[in-house]
Amino acid sequence: MFVAKSIAADHKDLIHDVSYDFHGRRMATCSSDQSVKVWDKGDDGEWHCTASWKTHSGSVWRVTWAHPEFGQVLASCSFDRTAAVWEEIVGESNDKQRGQSHWIKRTTLVDSRTSVTDVKFAPKHMGLMLTTCSADGVVRIYEAPDVMNLSQWSLQHEISCKLSCSCISWNPSSSRAHPPMIAVGSDDSNVTYSGKVQIYEYNENTRKYAKAETLMTVTDPVHDIAFAPNLGRSFHVLAIATKDVRIFKLLPMRRESANSSGPTKFEVQVMAQFDSHNSQVWRVSWNITSTLLASSGDDGCVRLWKANYMDNWKCTGILRGDGSPVNGSSGHAAALSAVGIPGAAQMVVGAASAGRYFFPHLDSPRAGSRLAHLLPPPSLIEQIYEPDPSHAPQLRQRHAANSIIQPAEHD
Amino acid sequence: MEKMTRVSGTVSGCTMFCHLDAPANAISVCRDATQVVVAGRNIFKIYGLEEDGFVERLNLRVGRKPSLNFSCADVMWHQMEENLLATAATNGAVVTWNLARPCRNKQEQLFTEHKRTVNKVCFHPTEVNMLLSGSQDGFMKCFDLRKKESVSTFSGQSESVRDVQFSIKDYFTFAASFENGNVQLWDIRRPDRYERMFTAHTGPVFCCDWHPEDRGWLATGGRDKMVKVWDMSTNRVKEIYCVQTIASVARVKWRPERRYHLATCSMMVDHNIYVWDVRRPFIPFATFEEHKDVTTGIVWRHQHDPYFLLSGSKDSTLYQHMFKDASRPVDRANPEGLCFGLFGDLAFAAKESLMSAPQSVGDVGRKTYPGGDRRYPIFFFKKPDVTEQFAQVSSALSVFESEAGSSVGMDWFINTAQSYLLSGKPFAELCEHNAQVAKRLNRPQESTTWTMLRIMFSEPANPSLSSNHNLNKSGNLPLVNSFSMKEMSAALNERNKENRQDNLHSLETNLNNNDENEETEGSEGQAEYLFGDAELDDDDLYSMEHDNQAAEEPEYLLPQEAFPLRHEIMDHPSAPEPVQEKPESPHVSGSEAESTCLTPMESFSLISVSQLLFSPHLPPKFFCPIVKEMLCYYAEQGDVQMAVSVLIVLGDRIRKEIDELTQEHWYMSYIDLLQRFELWNVSNEVIKLSTCGAIMCLNQTSTTLHINCSNCKRPMSNKGWICDRCHQCASVCAVCHHVVKGLFVWCQGCSHGGHLEHVMEWLKQSKHCPAGCGHLCEYT
Repeated sequence: MFVAKSIAADHKDLIHDVSYDFHGRRMATCSSDQSVKVWDKGDDGEWHCTASWKTHSGSVWRVTWAHPEFGQVLASCSFDRTAAVWEEIVGESNDKQRGQSHWIKRTTLVDSRTSVTDVKFAPKHMGLMLTTCSADGVVRIYEAPDVMNLSQWSLQHEISCKLSCSCISWNPSSSRAHPPMIAVGSDDSNVTYSGKVQIYEYNENTRKYAKAETLMTVTDPVHDIAFAPNLGRSFHVLAIATKDVRIFKLLPMRRESANSSGPTKFEVQVMAQFDSHNSQVWRVSWNITSTLLASSGDDGCVRLWKANYMDNWKCTGILRGDGSPVNGSSGHAAALSAVGIPGAAQMVVGAASAGRYFFPHLDSPRAGSRLAHLLPPPSLIEQIYEPDPSHAPQLRQRHAANSIIQPAEHD
Repeated sequence: MEKMTRVSGTVSGCTMFCHLDAPANAISVCRDATQVVVAGRNIFKIYGLEEDGFVERLNLRVGRKPSLNFSCADVMWHQMEENLLATAATNGAVVTWNLARPCRNKQEQLFTEHKRTVNKVCFHPTEVNMLLSGSQDGFMKCFDLRKKESVSTFSGQSESVRDVQFSIKDYFTFAASFENGNVQLWDIRRPDRYERMFTAHTGPVFCCDWHPEDRGWLATGGRDKMVKVWDMSTNRVKEIYCVQTIASVARVKWRPERRYHLATCSMMVDHNIYVWDVRRPFIPFATFEEHKDVTTGIVWRHQHDPYFLLSGSKDSTLYQHMFKDASRPVDRANPEGLCFGLFGDLAFAAKESLMSAPQSVGDVGRKTYPGGDRRYPIFFFKKPDVTEQFAQVSSALSVFESEAGSSVGMDWFINTAQSYLLSGKPFAELCEHNAQVAKRLNRPQESTTWTMLRIMFSEPANPSLSSNHNLNKSGNLPLVNSFSMKEMSAALNERNKENRQDNLHSLETNLNNNDENEETEGSEGQAEYLFGDAELDDDDLYSMEHDNQAAEEPEYLLPQEAFPLRHEIMDHPSAPEPVQEKPESPHVSGSEAESTCLTPMESFSLISVSQLLFSPHLPPKFFCPIVKEMLCYYAEQGDVQMAVSVLIVLGDRIRKEIDELTQEHWYMSYIDLLQRFELWNVSNEVIKLSTCGAIMCLNQTSTTLHINCSNCKRPMSNKGWICDRCHQCASVCAVCHHVVKGLFVWCQGCSHGGHLEHVMEWLKQSKHCPAGCGHLCEYT
């Protein structure tokens, strides 16, 4: 279902973030090498680097696009304690002829005294607003009062989270029933501080952000957090990358009276929790319809999660970054410990399908289990009990199973 | 090696600190790493380094009124003579101290040759009596401690000297760094001119340090926030590494026993101490974050021990840092980036070592390590050398593009948005069209929904719809009403699961129910019909209905739709395909409706009761709760497209059922999606067709129309179409002289125009303005 394209990014150190723009035709990458690169998808479908420039004097942790209504605008944040706003300059120049575009710095936000770990633009309906969070636990919300003037930003709110912040996510809902809401994740490694995810909500009366909810069950460092796109839903869905992938559902409770001034109370449900990465999960990302969640972890794999009609989340695919296909089952370490020799398995599969990914059907739906425990598929259990220690027949068997391409599902 | 063993015997301790009386300016350790001297404007003390803390040993500031000579900018402990110290005073004095002196005042020599602050003093590493100083006045002086005066003076012939360092390799060489960005190399025997000079930084070079092993390497740090490593052994000085830090570099010190590591601290803003691997110049290898104010002095405790670092700070503390307690920024640095694109493609960047690491099925052990600490297993099995692994990193970037037609892609959304008809035709036709569109795009559920909607809401126009339908519905749908919301959505969710068998089953049960009901003669025919016993032709079928329905009106709307359904149904028993079937017949749609809304058992148990409660004629309003539920279901499943499309097509039929805020939210979400996909026309159509005030005004924001009157060519001031100057109607077509409503095309040159098609036609024949003003209009 996916075709992998490798891009020679040519960053001189780790890439920390990748970000698509609003229309999905541009991409920005940022790296510890202090630079940001912008990639444009050409008519040939290939990605071309159209700009690469030094943005900070430290590792650039995150890069994010503003809504195109405000122009071609990027924001970046860095270890050097600053966040910066960049704008692409349109005009005839030599750069243009070489297929290069020019980005200039519009502002540097220097309020943080420590590394700025995340930067996000607020949803468009709130105007041109930018949020940063820093390692000293402060979330700052800036606003550009004049959207035409990107060099003027005023610090509107400072929220102290007490814990070192690693990631933020705006609730994208544009409904008037949902006040502006922001979720903050902390990568504080001390597990005794529970509640590594805090949710703040804007209060119209006090004109301040107040804590609406703390997810006490999240005790491990949180590396990424993402609200699902809210396409007309009454509740919110939040994905969290910590030592596992978690999906929370936040149901706003009815207020007792219309003019009660307190923050909205939420009923928090855990919709899913997966530890199949077997390691730290670094990133989570939703697709645009919020039907698919992608997560990536220290195992170097991207896993795709999808809810079935029962609201039962399950893995629908595993992608390896280096192009080698993944035995769909490899994540289920416990079930597969006896099978072994993944390399051989990959070779067999790879011969048939270089660069293609199959979506093995991992899990038969288990009605009623809300937490979607990923039990091994029955076929694999059979393999384990197989007395024959030679792997060849098993591999073939698995290969056959993997080659079945699932019919497109719409649910 | 010999030294190392000795070191491990002597140097031990933990991360510890002590409060000083005053801010420190510089620190220095004695050779055996047991004592440290702290010097500052108001402090000059020696501390002993004990296992678990600092112990004050000696205060060198003696006398009632300490002279300015005590105000130290720098201090150095002699590395060969353990009783000998030198300080650089801010008043230009260079003072040496002998701890072996019996009296309290340990001052030995005083050189007052510099005119301004002495920034740096440096003992020769091997020559006991040689001391070098560098001052703000631009001179460097070499002292022989056996003499009262300096032996030689070196003039940098430029600005202030910030640092002087004897080379470890060459007995006679020293390096000096200057505020103008230059570094000079001198031969101690030739005071007349420097051996070589190069520009190392833009702005002042605050510090330099010779590599303890690679004898030709010199590290320099400057206000330009850079640390540069120079290879001086070649003819041309070559920059071999450059580290970019986040603040101006005040001190730089090579880490003992680690070839590529050096420690830096900053002069302002940044209070941390960083240890860098120069091969990876972007991210610190380790950070010490204890100080609350600017760190002014750093020194490795022992020249062969890489694990202990001492530092003094303006915050009046003296710290011993243990390397194992350092924070490692790289561990918190995210090694991966992941983003979903609009079209379902995924961009993924990850550290290469992660991706090449064997995705071993066998390493179950990894799963259990506490806290998910990722480093140890990988390190210990793959590469034992942490520093080597640190230095060699890169990320691979790849894009997984969704294949056309796959379920992760968004083609369906675009196609649906473009193909759906939302207005301009009768309701039933819109539904029919949209059902076809959904069917074509392989979206059976949506297709069925449209069909159901058509059936539900077309009825008022056709009260005499076939009795089968009525029966079916009266038999089952009323039940729906009595369900709680929760059951409803659960039941809705069941929908996909239902395989054919279930469908048939439910159908059957319902039919059986109907059979039991005496009043339903039609059920007999229906049952036969459904189970392939289709001997009756349509006339028969309908005639039966006629019998059933006393007053049959001739014009029913949906007779022809009965045809395809029959074939579909006949297929059913023979071809048990999964849910994909798209039953078009009202009959089967009816049963489909049941299966979506009810679980078979429930319908079975309740049906006989509910049957009697409702008349066979159901107003469309009756279905509103179900439809509302359905819309919410779609919205919550992320398919706001369906919700909005249905909302628009149904219009007033459903609008009042759903609160304004929710509608607005759906509209906003859908419009945002359409705009993401650059489907501007569809987005505009949706905005136009919406009934929410907040949505409709979207098109009007920041849109201004400037209209000139076509007669007097002045701007129209009022809002109507009558020009208040010439009192004529402004928007008259120049060709047909009628008022234009709808698309109006006009020439921006002469402000004449009219109906689009009229003007186009006119301009095919003539180049001049149809109004006869003589302007050469052009239509492009």
